[in-house]
Amino acid sequence: MKTIALAVSFLLASFANAQTISVWGAELSPDTIAGSLSVAHAFEKKHPGVKVRMLGLGAGDMNPQKLLTAIVGGSPPDVVRQSRFTISDWASRGAFIPLDPYLKRDQLDPAAPRPEDYYASAWLECTYRNSVYGIPTEADDRALYWNRGLFQQEASKLRAAGLDPNRPPRTWSEMINYSKVLTIPGKRVGFLPNFGNSWLYLYAFQNNASFMSPDGLTCTLNSPQAVAALEFMKQGYDVAGGYEAANAFQSSFRPNENDPFLTGQVAMKIDGDWSLPGIARYGPNLDFGVAPPPVPDDRYNKVGAFKGEEDKFITWTGGFCYVIPKGAKNAELAWEFIKFASSLEGRLIDNRARATADRVQGRMFLPRIQGLKAANEALLKEFEPADPKFREGLQTHFELMNHSRFRPPTIVGQLLWDEHVKATETVMLGKLEPSQALRLSESAVQRELDRVASKHRYPIVPAGVIEAIALILLVSCSAAWMFVWKRARMTSLAKKEAWGAYLMISPWLIGLLLFTAGPMISSFFMSFTSYDVMSPPRWIGLQNYFELFGPNKPEVTKAFANAAYLAGFGIPLGIVSGLAIAVLLNTGVKGMRIYRTIYYLPAIVPVAASAVLWIWLLSPDPNQGLVSVAWQSTIGAWMNWPIPGWLTAENWAKPSLILMGIWGAGSGMILWLAGLKGVPQSLYEAADIDGASATQIFRKVTLPMLSPILFFNAVMGMIGALQEFDRIYIMAGGGNGPGDSLLVPAKYVFTNAFAYFKFGYASAVAWVIFAVVMVVTILQFRIARQWVHQETSL
Amino acid sequence: MGSPGDQPLTINLLFAVGTILFWLGSWFLISAIFRKENRLQNAIGAGLLFFFSSLTPIFQKQLGIPLIWPEMPVELWLSVLCTTFALRYSIQAYLDAESKRIKPILAWFAGAVALLVLSKLNGSFHFNILNGSITLSSATGLYIVAFSIAAIALIAKFGKKGKKVTTHAALILGCVLFGMPFAWLIVTSFKESRDTTSASGLVWIPKVQKTIPYFDKTDPLLAAKYEGQDVITSPIGRTSDGGYIVEIHRPSSLRGISFEGPQTSFREVAKDAPVVQGDGFTGYVIQEKSSGERVVRFLSPQNKKGQEQSFLASELEPVREVGLRFENYSEALEAMPVETHKGLVYLQNTVILVLLSVIGTVLSSSIVAYAFARLRFPGKEWLFKLLLGTMMLPAAVTLMPQFLLFRSLGWIDTLYPLWVPAFFASAFNVFLLRQFFSQIPMELEDAAKIDGAGLFGSFWRVMMPQIKPGIAVISIWTFMGAWNNFMGPLIYINSPENMPLSYALQLFQTERGGETGLMMAFATLTIIPVVALFFFAQKYFIEGVSLSGLGGR
Repeated sequence: MKTIALAVSFLLASFANAQTISVWGAELSPDTIAGSLSVAHAFEKKHPGVKVRMLGLGAGDMNPQKLLTAIVGGSPPDVVRQSRFTISDWASRGAFIPLDPYLKRDQLDPAAPRPEDYYASAWLECTYRNSVYGIPTEADDRALYWNRGLFQQEASKLRAAGLDPNRPPRTWSEMINYSKVLTIPGKRVGFLPNFGNSWLYLYAFQNNASFMSPDGLTCTLNSPQAVAALEFMKQGYDVAGGYEAANAFQSSFRPNENDPFLTGQVAMKIDGDWSLPGIARYGPNLDFGVAPPPVPDDRYNKVGAFKGEEDKFITWTGGFCYVIPKGAKNAELAWEFIKFASSLEGRLIDNRARATADRVQGRMFLPRIQGLKAANEALLKEFEPADPKFREGLQTHFELMNHSRFRPPTIVGQLLWDEHVKATETVMLGKLEPSQALRLSESAVQRELDRVASKHRYPIVPAGVIEAIALILLVSCSAAWMFVWKRARMTSLAKKEAWGAYLMISPWLIGLLLFTAGPMISSFFMSFTSYDVMSPPRWIGLQNYFELFGPNKPEVTKAFANAAYLAGFGIPLGIVSGLAIAVLLNTGVKGMRIYRTIYYLPAIVPVAASAVLWIWLLSPDPNQGLVSVAWQSTIGAWMNWPIPGWLTAENWAKPSLILMGIWGAGSGMILWLAGLKGVPQSLYEAADIDGASATQIFRKVTLPMLSPILFFNAVMGMIGALQEFDRIYIMAGGGNGPGDSLLVPAKYVFTNAFAYFKFGYASAVAWVIFAVVMVVTILQFRIARQWVHQETSL
Repeated sequence: MGSPGDQPLTINLLFAVGTILFWLGSWFLISAIFRKENRLQNAIGAGLLFFFSSLTPIFQKQLGIPLIWPEMPVELWLSVLCTTFALRYSIQAYLDAESKRIKPILAWFAGAVALLVLSKLNGSFHFNILNGSITLSSATGLYIVAFSIAAIALIAKFGKKGKKVTTHAALILGCVLFGMPFAWLIVTSFKESRDTTSASGLVWIPKVQKTIPYFDKTDPLLAAKYEGQDVITSPIGRTSDGGYIVEIHRPSSLRGISFEGPQTSFREVAKDAPVVQGDGFTGYVIQEKSSGERVVRFLSPQNKKGQEQSFLASELEPVREVGLRFENYSEALEAMPVETHKGLVYLQNTVILVLLSVIGTVLSSSIVAYAFARLRFPGKEWLFKLLLGTMMLPAAVTLMPQFLLFRSLGWIDTLYPLWVPAFFASAFNVFLLRQFFSQIPMELEDAAKIDGAGLFGSFWRVMMPQIKPGIAVISIWTFMGAWNNFMGPLIYINSPENMPLSYALQLFQTERGGETGLMMAFATLTIIPVVALFFFAQKYFIEGVSLSGLGGR
């Protein structure tokens, strides 16, 4: 068999001399790049003439936009290293190709993956409707980290409460009791249910909750088991002093050497195996233990609903897998790469290279859990840590893989995740009861499920409809022009001039048809369809608009409200600050050019650069963020107000952007400067003679003379604000900010169009934006009559 | 912050005296600087007052600017406010010798008394002198400046010179505020990661770890060539013929790749061993054990020099000196994907994009604008209104169909979608240039026509040179737009070799954002070309903003 594989690869190699496969979602951080590149390189060695390109491109995890655009655009990578829980979602859209044909063909090849070699949880998470879409690589699972030294230090207190300081808690009620004893308000918490990595999923799994019905058509988020899990989380926070206090405490946490678990600010946490290397690097002397995460008391005692249950402990596993996207140019080679990279050999090469990289930097190497059972055994043998606590920790994590659950494969995986986070937060904040919050989230998920399920009921739009409409419009426009042309009786000279003119404006006319009018028609048409680009559009009538003004109304209103907020405060503040600088500069100060340059400089910094810069300036940590330092030493010191969370706080995210906008007031300043220079000196002289004071002159002469510019800027500012995208996209990291506080209309369209590929819905939203822009502009022109100074009235 | 009433009265009083002396001293100092008469006396007075104030308690604790402020209930504060207004108006009435102003004075005064009575009735008539100080740290320097401006503004009342000084002071303060982010950017781009995650405040003066070159015999670093690139490697084995099998360590974009070669192709290079200090010794770390212990070779004291000993990491303190970490820049460039040639390809793409966009915009917009400005043709008014109307159209409306259009052309993952539309004239630029064309006297064109120039000839040779400023303006404008374009690449570009800088920067932020130093180094590099261009073409930048903002007037 090996010879055949070799022959195939040889054939491939001779076929095209320099074949390239690109892999997206590769791990390329300084700590992990060695593993990724070594695997690619080893594969290149085995297949001469093949080049493997490892790229990150933000693919693999939560942000689907780039990958989906590439697949839809017909230039996808050949292999993607993708988070397993998203597989079903992608597969249901037809974005990945099923791997069963390859698996079947290669079933005799010893190097090909076999389901039984993998942990069931890892393998099954990569399947959708009984088809395999991905081959698992790394895995992770969660365990309880407990600070043994701290337990010893508090031994007497723990004993007094009837708890054993020599072992970690095993059940939920024990967990609460330990946490009660170990919490010192404001200084230390015993345990925060959602600190580390657990979410509702872990606790719900432990309580045997399922999130979806087996057929995947019904969301069962609001089950009694999940409610109980959420109640446990709430209790956990209550013991630690409440969710808000816990969050405030959490905001003081620092990374690396000052990690709260290393400093003893957090006595116990549930976290993934990835946190072990952090401890090894920054706090190798910490006396700690790793244990299975505590489970419901009934499960531990195997009574009640858990009678006869096999697993005493339960953890939640996740991880990555390799997939081949639809339209991959080199699927055959991609499959060869996947086979190699996910094999025992590939996994060992990956880990060995990382181990060397760590050794060069003098760091302890800890292997990562793999989905392949044999790889775990080999890795544990080869890289067994000498330090017993790390050895035992690693063993615990590896062993827990046998008792792991995974997120249900569903086409709404991402939505389910987002909704469960939302529900958890509202309950922790005490806004809603667990069952209420879960019911709300459940119905949101169900709506989406129903929408997808009912899609096939609508008729497919026949191809060429839009083209036909466009043609009809074009013909009627031409007819109208013919009419005009005929009516204008022209001399031959005038005709010649007119034809010349048409030739001259033709670039714009063609552009108008291609890039404006044509797209407008098709976008208007699209807004009545459901269209995901990968399958033909279906005519759904006003459904998109109903959705927009119905169930999605809160989101849409929020987007427009955010834009209004940003414009309503941002534009006036920008104008005032720009005008203030301009007035100062216009007094004829010496060195005006130098000042002007300095004030203008921020305005020419590329948007991407200034956004990236301000992400850091706005860090809420007074050790990092310049704005926080300024706040701390001024307003904070005078009023004794804590530093706001800036971009991470719901109420401060927009003010942060406005603040950033003021930094760019320089371009406005230039404008005002030009405007001020344009005010006739004679007006000032006349006012001076009349004995007007400086403020009077400003209010009665300068401002009215500037009002046309002011008006023009208000209009353009509003139009701009409704379309703002770049800055917000970068600063919110592609998301919508805390509590959707940075969700703006353009971002909403973009996400729906290029992350969810709901082109129809996105078009409907775009037309609503257009309508709003129109209304606002017309309104402004109306109001303008009352305050804008008319040149002619002079 | 001072705490209320927890200090004995005498200390409070002493503090109050010190504060008053200090501020009087400041007043004298300012007078000495700005007033010509009695300069010497004022200076001596200031010195004496500062000296006496320094004897008061606040200066014995720490260096600071003393402040006293009374703690009062709201009603009292309001009463004080009313009194202030009353005083202000009475002073004005006195200076203007006007009796009309007597009413507001009385009203404010009555208000003050009423509030006083109210607070007395409420029983909240208590007040307390608090003392505190502005400690003199670098951050507080800012509001000292602000305070001086206020003081200078007061002086401004006494002379014209004052107004100028105030203006300058305000402008300088503004410059400091506007320049701070830049300063932070530059400083951070030279910081070690230790300084960016420090827990003891923002670091303004970067420090670098002191190192000593050290040749590690047991675990050497080897320099070699790999596919034409200089790399630093570490051996992971030997070949049968005595060569090395090595794994690349730097550049980081090749890290993990292993290769082998004869011994002669490798050259041993020194490691940068960090210098550390501990309890009564200094030394440098020659080995980091995986257990977390570090082997230190002593530098001092003399009697131990050259000896080696293991320490726990917590027993050692790094020795650092003030300096800039230039490696941030080289490491940031090294971290770029190999095929981008350390990011040069990004720059190249941006430059291509910018050039083509500018050429396309200038050519197409000017020719269209000319036709609209100077030629007569049926439907002109309608078409021009249509042109103006498209300015209002949000990009979101045409975004999706345009994607489908470019997709059907097979232009995904190419630069075409980003610059081709520029060749089809944009409404705003046409509008702007039309204004320019309209201002050119008709005679010029007529003369050209008489000379026998055709339509295009007169446009190209006669009209175009006349609107050079306009062209410069839209060029700059298009340049900025193309350089900034982010959404376009975000949608259309998939591979690093086609990416422009703006998108590459954002990707770098999502992938390597945690390393602030590298991040800021990359950001600085993307800003430099624009700033450089700005200094060459400042005039046009400024004209550009004014013109476009004035709606082309």
